[in-house]
Amino acid sequence: MQATISFILDGKIQSLGFNEQFKPTTTVLNYLRSLANHKGVKEGCAEGDCGACTVVIAELNQNDSLQYTAWDSCLVFLPMIHGKQLITVENLIQYNAGEKRLHPVQQAMVDCNGSQCGYCTPGIVMSMFSLYKEKTPLSKENIEDALTGNLCRCTGYKPIIEAAARACAEIKVDQFDSNEKQIVAMLLQIKDQSKSILIDTTKQKYCRPKTINEALELRNKMQNSVLINGATDVALRVTKRHELLEEIIDLSGIPELKKFTKTAIDFKFGAGMSLENVKKVAEGALPALFETLAVFGSKQIRTLATFGGNVGSGSPIGDTLPVLMAYNAEIVLQQISEDAAPLNTEQSFPNISERKINMNNYILGYRETERKPKEIITAIIIPTPLANTIIKFYKVSKRKDLDISTLSGGFSILLKNNCVETITLAYGGMAAVTKRAKKAEQYLIGKLWDRATVDQAMELIAEDFTPISDARSGAEFRKLAAKNLLLKFWSETK
Amino acid sequence: MNNSIPHDSAIKHVSGESVYINDFQVNSQLLIGRVVYSSHAHAKIKSLNLSIAKQLKGVHAVLCYKDIPGINQMGPVVHDEVCLAIGEVLCVGQAIVLIAAESEEIAIAAEKLITIEYEPLVPVLDIRTAIEKNLLLGPARTMQRGDFEGALKSAVNILEGELETGAQEHWYLETQTCLCIPGEEKEITAYSSTQHPSETQAIIAEVLGINKNEVVVEIRRMGGAFGGKETQGNWAAAWSALLCYATKRPVKIHLFRDDDQIITGKRHPYLIKYKAGFDREGKITALKFEQYADGGCATDLSLAILERAMLHADSSYFIPNMLVIGRAYKTNLPSNTAFRGFGGPQGMAAMETLIDRVARFLNKDAADIRKLNFYGIETNNITHYGQTVELNRLHTIYDQLMASSDYRNRRKEIDKFNLSNEFYKKGIALTPVKFGISFTTSFLNQAGALVNIYKDGTVLVNHGGTEMGQGLNTKILQIAAAELGVGIDKIKVNATNTSKVPNTSATAASAGTDLNGMAVKNAIDILKVRIAHVVAAEFSKQSPQNKFEAANIVFENNFIFDKLLPHHRMAFADVMPIVHFNQVSLSATGFYRTPDISWDKLTGWGKPFNYFAFGMCVSEVVVDLLTGFHKNLRTDILHDVGDSINHDIDIGQVEGGYIQGLGWCTTEEVKWDKKGHLMNHSPDTYKIPSVQDIPSDFRTSLLQNAPNPNAIRKSKAVAEPPLMLAFATWLAIKDAISAVGDHKFEPQFSLPATNEVILISIEELKKKLKN
Repeated sequence: MQATISFILDGKIQSLGFNEQFKPTTTVLNYLRSLANHKGVKEGCAEGDCGACTVVIAELNQNDSLQYTAWDSCLVFLPMIHGKQLITVENLIQYNAGEKRLHPVQQAMVDCNGSQCGYCTPGIVMSMFSLYKEKTPLSKENIEDALTGNLCRCTGYKPIIEAAARACAEIKVDQFDSNEKQIVAMLLQIKDQSKSILIDTTKQKYCRPKTINEALELRNKMQNSVLINGATDVALRVTKRHELLEEIIDLSGIPELKKFTKTAIDFKFGAGMSLENVKKVAEGALPALFETLAVFGSKQIRTLATFGGNVGSGSPIGDTLPVLMAYNAEIVLQQISEDAAPLNTEQSFPNISERKINMNNYILGYRETERKPKEIITAIIIPTPLANTIIKFYKVSKRKDLDISTLSGGFSILLKNNCVETITLAYGGMAAVTKRAKKAEQYLIGKLWDRATVDQAMELIAEDFTPISDARSGAEFRKLAAKNLLLKFWSETK
Repeated sequence: MNNSIPHDSAIKHVSGESVYINDFQVNSQLLIGRVVYSSHAHAKIKSLNLSIAKQLKGVHAVLCYKDIPGINQMGPVVHDEVCLAIGEVLCVGQAIVLIAAESEEIAIAAEKLITIEYEPLVPVLDIRTAIEKNLLLGPARTMQRGDFEGALKSAVNILEGELETGAQEHWYLETQTCLCIPGEEKEITAYSSTQHPSETQAIIAEVLGINKNEVVVEIRRMGGAFGGKETQGNWAAAWSALLCYATKRPVKIHLFRDDDQIITGKRHPYLIKYKAGFDREGKITALKFEQYADGGCATDLSLAILERAMLHADSSYFIPNMLVIGRAYKTNLPSNTAFRGFGGPQGMAAMETLIDRVARFLNKDAADIRKLNFYGIETNNITHYGQTVELNRLHTIYDQLMASSDYRNRRKEIDKFNLSNEFYKKGIALTPVKFGISFTTSFLNQAGALVNIYKDGTVLVNHGGTEMGQGLNTKILQIAAAELGVGIDKIKVNATNTSKVPNTSATAASAGTDLNGMAVKNAIDILKVRIAHVVAAEFSKQSPQNKFEAANIVFENNFIFDKLLPHHRMAFADVMPIVHFNQVSLSATGFYRTPDISWDKLTGWGKPFNYFAFGMCVSEVVVDLLTGFHKNLRTDILHDVGDSINHDIDIGQVEGGYIQGLGWCTTEEVKWDKKGHLMNHSPDTYKIPSVQDIPSDFRTSLLQNAPNPNAIRKSKAVAEPPLMLAFATWLAIKDAISAVGDHKFEPQFSLPATNEVILISIEELKKKLKN
């Protein structure tokens, strides 16, 4: 166990201990802004909705080369960057004999007139830099996706899109390429020396285990602790509600949780997989899941947020929950169990028991799930859909992107001779929990999948739910849209 | 003048090196200020207990109204706003107590130790209730021309209705911020994110009870403002000044996003009732608007905003018999304030709605009805308030944009698409902008400058305008360079500072460049005359056989020479030590007042504007009838900025203004609950446009060959006018909805057209179709 963290900033390994000034729940944004030479990073909202705080994180991938991703630093607790390189807008500038040289993404922003008031600009530059370092084929969609998490109130975005297109059209060798070997060596050095992290400041206890076993043991001991991985939801308790989180178990340092395996019968996603990585897997293979994640938060959020975290929060809207119900997915839960037989004979201790819960039985009430206090979600399993099952996801929100659903629907249908054999109509945002439209489902079973039947079923959906009015929309709209989503589903599957 | 130089801070912006007030390095004495505000929309304060909070370690001041040394008053025009609440609160977000502490954490902890006991009163939270209770902020205003009643009687067709427009949150990226540093005795320096440093200076002096010459306000740049820092930047400034004065230590207030959204006022929601008479062709002959503005809990700028709404009720159309009645009301919401367009958008939205209805009523294309009603060039060119629309560009822009956007063919394609699609409908619309440039409070149309030339030939330009991203300083730089004949690398535009240029007007009304550019030119003209005399004398000394006159001396390309004997030339930088040696001042102030405007507020008649800016937009959308989502397929804009001083900056203003207007027209919804709490108080639920919301095909051009004789270097103001281009998209959405009923029924519609508004409108149309 170690009580300090190490990361690279300004080309050097920084070791940081925790005290009055820096708590384990101090955000990377606030840490950077406390330094004299990193004030480019800005707070615009402290909730991951504007991207003014975007930084880039470089970390080792499996081949021990560097992978660059953009993060909202307002949502990241300091221990989460342990073993990584933190890159800010200031680090993109080079000085040659005292002369300032801009990085190609910065130069393109100047050339395209991409800044007006300049406050969002450092964040935008960093999102663009992350895209530049991804070296993926450039498309309008890629550019827009990389910039969705950055709000600008002045420009109307067009010159920013042009700047990204111009800079990323031709990827040149930059100082980060030249320094990569050195950075990799430093990161390997940190990795080799790293133990699990335990920060105890008397007011707060922050644990960052390296294995599932360790995590389960910690959880067994601290059943009231807050479990985090990307912390995109939990961080708001600190940044917006100013809560002091007393016990935290951070699962983001556990490689086993990030694994993905595919067999003939299912897709098994480690609970610690980022939603961005889940999205990549889902593309082509699980189109409805892909659709869900394509309009989920922003790239910065999806990079941090994990599949297990989203399922674990069990929110009434819970963007992935309806579609997981439609996929008939299962949640894998593990815990330390004194009486159960060891799961893995190679492990003498601890005894771990595992169970699987079908997504449709997982949610019990408002933010209440089947998961017991001792348990940790370790994986989400999606059975390979039958060839003729059609699964779709629909989201209705005020703004299409980077907006929490007003309501959403995860639907699946199996037709036989154009009659409904099985159907799942799972809705988010329509009740205190993600809920299926049971009356409509029952009515539809065995019926001809035609407009007249659907019209009838739409009336039943109105009976299935009594939605509320809130900041996102009125109840009437929710009812109307919920009915319409069924019609939309029909129009796209008839 | 080379046109498209980048924003003068562009390199600093992209490097993270541009300094905003919250980035200042202050010594370890800095305290963090925090405002404790009302959680009730309307209540009596029964008791206030601050004693426990004051004892918390690290807390240096806890202030309430009793601790204000000067006047407890913030109202910029009408003195009806207290700085800190006395016995009653009038909105959620009203300041009651101020805290200064060694860290934000301590300030938050101290806030929790304060107890405020309220006796809740019934709040008024919407305009209709305010009208019912007759809670007027000021007397009703009227503007009229012709005989509305008479003309209505003889009209062939009559339509009436009403339009509601929503509030809009400014959502500047940089929230309200001020840092105050104490000086000697009573002196105080405020680094304030304000569009109006002189007023901020005055307010600080008043609340502290000190003289204006003891207060300096400085602002280098704001992280966006959009009107939200015209008067309401004063709050953070006055609060931090009070805390600074009480503690004798530097104090900074940088509002948290949610607090900023809860505390500050928004664009005024309006209810506008209209009644119009028109002929068979669609020519409107009689028209009455009754505008009802929700001013919030205090006057702020509501009456000036109402005036501009009334002055823009005509949009771009000549209506021979027109009557506009405007009233602003008091409610228990934070005082609504300036926002890009300043009432113009609300006034115009109702007019454009009416035109849209006339077109649907007559089964004609709305673009034709617009053209039919446009102000004429030689005739039919006098507005309902008596000003002649000179240099009318509407017809030129219309012809060019109709052709370049291929409007007619696309309309046909859209009709075809709509016939064959049940669940998706497309719509298209063209809307114009005619926007009056000048403050309608005429005396505000003045500006000052201070230009210093140093002995090395470098120039420091000070002016009264503020930089909030709009590129004012860049244009000033270009103007100064062109007028002085030196490179922009020799010129620096200074941070705006009240000790350099005093008694300025707000940077507002789109007039920043017009006013300050002229003031800078005036200062430079004065300097050039002085320098020219020295140079003429110097040339005469060098070659006594020739005669040199100051009037023939020109400044170009970093040189100063005689235009008749151009081989007599000296480098600009070489001349300055000579001027200094000759005991001639290289520093001059400049001043400008807009000539030839006059406006009688009582009669509602005159020439309030120096000139008009014009623009037009064609926008096409597709609406998903089942979810209410729309996609902005293509938007074409042609906008008039006169001779552009900086093409790229002007394009940026036009595109950015359109997208900001688009937000107001579509996704930006502000709602309060039944107790007057703001429901959309963070970007989680308040949705400004993202990169995905801009038109898939976005084409913006500036009108060519249209110099403006009335402003600096034949340019035109930009800033506000493009915001209203977004009505094209708003009405294109309505056009698509209307297609559900084959354009036979008038869809119910309001602003913003959220997908909720859209879906419910479609549902209503479907019901009408069934019957």
